[in-house]
Amino acid sequence: MTTLRNLPAWARWPLYVLAGILLLTIVQSISDTGRLTAVSTSREMLRWAVPIFLAGLGGLFSERAGVVNIGLEGMLILGMWFGAWGSITYGPWAGLAIGMIGGGLGGLLHAVATVTFNVDHIISGVAINILAPALTRYLSDELWASPTTSPRTQSVGDWDVPFLAGGTIFGWESPDLLKSIGDREWWYLSDIAELARGLLRGTHWVAIIALLLVPFTSWLIWRTRFGLRLRIAGENPQAGEAQGVDIIRYKYIGVIISGILAGLGGAFISTELSGLFQGGNSAGRGFIGLAALIFGNWRPGGVLVGALLFGYVFGLDLKDLDGTASHALLLVNTVALAGVAAWALSRRRTTDAILATILGVGALAWWLSAETVPNWWSNILPYVLVLLVLVFFAQRLRMPAADGLPYRKGES
Amino acid sequence: MTAAIELTGITKRFPGVVANDNVNLTVQKGEIHAICGENGAGKSTLMKILYGMQPADEGTMAVNGKAVTFSSPTDAIDQGIGMVHQHFMLADNLTVLENIILGAEPTTGGVIRFKEAEDHLAEVAEDYGLAIDPDDLVETLEVGERQRVEIIKVLYRGADILILDEPTAVLVPQEVEALFDNMRELKAGGSTIIFIDHKLDEVLEIADSITVLRHGKTVATMPNEGVTAPDLAELMVGSELPTPDTTESTVTDEVALKVSGLAVADEDGREVIANIDLTVHKGEILGIAGVEGNGQGELVDAIVGTAQVTKGTIELHGHDITRLSVRKRREAGLAYVPEDRHHEGLLLEAPLWENAALGHQTQAPYGSRWFINRDGAKQQTEQIREEFDVRTPNINVSAHALSGGNQQKLLIGRELTSEPSMLVAAHPTRGIDVGAQAAVWDDIRTARSEGLATLLVSADLDELIGLSDTIVVMLRGRLVARLSPDEVTPRDLGAYMTGAATQDDGEAA
Repeated sequence: MTTLRNLPAWARWPLYVLAGILLLTIVQSISDTGRLTAVSTSREMLRWAVPIFLAGLGGLFSERAGVVNIGLEGMLILGMWFGAWGSITYGPWAGLAIGMIGGGLGGLLHAVATVTFNVDHIISGVAINILAPALTRYLSDELWASPTTSPRTQSVGDWDVPFLAGGTIFGWESPDLLKSIGDREWWYLSDIAELARGLLRGTHWVAIIALLLVPFTSWLIWRTRFGLRLRIAGENPQAGEAQGVDIIRYKYIGVIISGILAGLGGAFISTELSGLFQGGNSAGRGFIGLAALIFGNWRPGGVLVGALLFGYVFGLDLKDLDGTASHALLLVNTVALAGVAAWALSRRRTTDAILATILGVGALAWWLSAETVPNWWSNILPYVLVLLVLVFFAQRLRMPAADGLPYRKGES
Repeated sequence: MTAAIELTGITKRFPGVVANDNVNLTVQKGEIHAICGENGAGKSTLMKILYGMQPADEGTMAVNGKAVTFSSPTDAIDQGIGMVHQHFMLADNLTVLENIILGAEPTTGGVIRFKEAEDHLAEVAEDYGLAIDPDDLVETLEVGERQRVEIIKVLYRGADILILDEPTAVLVPQEVEALFDNMRELKAGGSTIIFIDHKLDEVLEIADSITVLRHGKTVATMPNEGVTAPDLAELMVGSELPTPDTTESTVTDEVALKVSGLAVADEDGREVIANIDLTVHKGEILGIAGVEGNGQGELVDAIVGTAQVTKGTIELHGHDITRLSVRKRREAGLAYVPEDRHHEGLLLEAPLWENAALGHQTQAPYGSRWFINRDGAKQQTEQIREEFDVRTPNINVSAHALSGGNQQKLLIGRELTSEPSMLVAAHPTRGIDVGAQAAVWDDIRTARSEGLATLLVSADLDELIGLSDTIVVMLRGRLVARLSPDEVTPRDLGAYMTGAATQDDGEAA
C-alpha cells in the first residue's frame, strides 16, 4: 500500500481502474451475466456520468465559494429546456450555449438570494428546484403546446476515436482495434477493451469537453488568482475581506459558473441524449451531482470518479432487465465492503469495520440465496451507494470551512 | 519629528453606545505603543477605525503627518498600516504561502507566480527573523506559528505600522516571550507597533508608551517610565461609579458550593485551571478577581457544566454534581448569569417570555417534562418584568428590541425568580448603563440577604470590593490570594492580579 501511495496520481488512478475491472471480470466469470464489462455498459455509464459530473463540477465552483447549491437540479432542468429551445431555434451548438445561459440565470437567481439577501442556501436551492420544473412546464405549454415534451432537437453529435474504436479520418475507415480485442474473448484483456470501447466509440463532443474541464478546473482553482480568491470566499471570507478581496464578487461568479455548468449538463440531456425536452428527464442527476461532489471531496478529479461510479450503476441498471447484473453486483459490493472493513480496521476504527463487515456479510448472503434481484433494488442501488460512501468516508472529507455560512460584508 | 499616527477627536457611535468619545492618540515613529483598557473601553473600535474597517463619525487621522481618510482596509494597507487581528484571519485549508499572498498575488495573466511569491516571502522572513515553511497547511500550525504567519502577512505587504490586537490573549507564556522578541526585532528594523493589551505586566515589559482608554475616552498617555501596574489598573477601572457597597454580613456556616482540587484542560490538553479549592456559604458573595483570561471563564464553565472537568469535584449542598448535565445542575438550584448575554444568555430572536422560560422549561410554572405551559410562562414573565423593572412594551417582543440593561435585568430576573440556592454571575454589569448597574447590584444584594450563595466574577474592581464578602484572586489558572474586601483597595487588588504582590500559602488557603 505504501509503495502505491508514493506513486504520482496519474500512475495511481489507472492502477485503481485496472484493479476495479479485474474485480468485475472475476465476479462476472462466476455469474451468469456478461454485462458488467460490456460495451453498452460503459457507454451508458458515460452518458449518465456526463450530466452528473457537470452538475457536480458546478457544485464545486459554488461550494468552493462558500455557497451550498442544492438548486443544481433546478439549474439542470433550466439547462434542459433552454438547451432544447436553443437547439430547435438556432442549431445544436447555439443550443448548448443557450442551455448554459439558462442554467446560469438559475445560478444568478441563487446568488442574488443567498449572497445579496442572505437567504438560507438550502431554502433558496429548494425554491429553485420547485421553480424550474414549473417554469419549464409553463414555457413548453406556451411554445410547443405541450407541457411536457418539445419537438425533436438537433444534436452536436459524437465522434469515434480512430484506430482504437474505428473512427473515420477524411472518409477512410480506420481499424477498430478495441473491437477486435474485445471479440477475441480473452479473459480480462477483452473486458478492458470492451469497457474502453464503450467510452471511445460514439463519444459525445460534450463528454470530451466535460473531461477536459477536469484538468482545466484543477489549474484554475489551484494555480490562478481567481482560484485562490474563490477558495478564500469558501474557507474564510472574513480573512479574504481583511486582505482586500471582494468576496461578494467571487461568490457571485462561483454560483453563476455553477449554474452554467449544470445548464450544460441539462442541455446535454435534452439535445444529445433524449433528442427532445421532456419533463422529468433530469432524473435527479443534479442531486446526484451533489453526491458526486461530496464523494470527490470537492476536487475536480474526485467529482469525475464519483460521477463515473454513480453513472456505472445507473448505466448497468438501464440494460439489466432480468436483474442478473445487479445480482452480480452484490458480490462486487461484498468485496468492496470487505476492503472497507480491512481499511477501517487498519485505522482502528472498529465501529466502521464492524458495520462494513455486517453489510458485506448481508450482501454475500443475499447473493448466495437468490439468482436475481428484484427491480426496486437496482433502482435504489445508486442511492444506497451514495449513502454508504458518505457513512464510511465522511470523516475523511474536507468541505470548504465556510460552506453554507451566511456572509455579510464588514462583519466578523 | 512627525508622528507615525495621529488621531484627533475620534468619535464613533453605535446604536445606544458611544464606543469612542473624542479619542486622541499619537504614536511616534519606531516605538511600541500599548493601548490598554477594559473590555468595552473602545480599544478594538479605535483600531478598526484606524485600519479602515469602520468609518469614524467625527475626528481626523494623519499618517506620517499626512491627513488620510480610509474607506476600507485596502486604503490603510496602502498607507503602510497592517493589522494582526485577535482572531486570526487565516484559512486552515490553505497553505501558509497562499494565506500570505492573498490579495497581493504576483500574477501573469491571472496565473500566480508562486516561485516569485515564495522568494519574496523568504526575503521578508529573513529580514525580520521569522522562520516559517511556506508550504505547510495552516491547520497544522501551532497558535504561536499562526500568529507569526499573521505578522508576516502584514510585513509581506510592506507595512511599517503594525497594529497587534491583543496578540498575547491566545498565547502561553513561552510563546509570549517569543512574540516579544519578534516585536523588539521589528522595532529595531524601524517598524512602529501599536499593541492592544490588558495584561498590565506585559504592557510594562514591552511598551515604550502607553495610552489608557476607559469608557471610550482617552484617560492618559504616558511614557513607560516609573509607571506601575496598580497605577494602570486604577486608570483603567476608574472610580467614578456608584458604589456597590453591601451592608452587614449575612454569611452563614452552611456550605452551598464546594469546589475541591478542580482542574480543566483546553483542547490541547493543557491545564488552564488547576488546584482550585473554594467554598461559598449560604448568604455569601465570593468575588473572583483576576485579569481576564486567567482561568475565570473556565472555572465558571466547569461549575455550570459546560466545560469538561479533568480533575477534582464540585459539590452543591453536599451532592456531587461534577458529572451532572447542565439541566440537572439547574434543577438542583444553580442559577447562571453568563458573561456574554447575547451568546449564552438569550435568544435574541425569541420573545421575552420564551427567553424567561429558557433553562426552566422543564419546571413549573414554565412547563413540565414534555410540554411548555405558555400561560404559566407568560404570567411568570410579567412578574419578572414588574419585579425587576424590565422596561418593555410587552412580553411578546423579541429580546433584541430591548436595551442591554433591560436584557440583563430580564436575565437576572429569570435566574433569581426560580428560587436558586447558588448563583454564578460572570460580569453581571458589563456593558450596561449606570442605572441598570445599580439595579443589578440591588437584586444581587437582596438575594444574598435571603440566603443565596453567589460566585461573582468581575473585572470591575469596585464592584468586586463593594459586593463581595470574600475575594479570591486568580492568576494563570490558580487561586493566588484570598482577601477581605474591607481591607483591600483596587490598587492592592491590581497588584495581586498581576502577580506584583503575593500572599504566602498559609493565608491563601
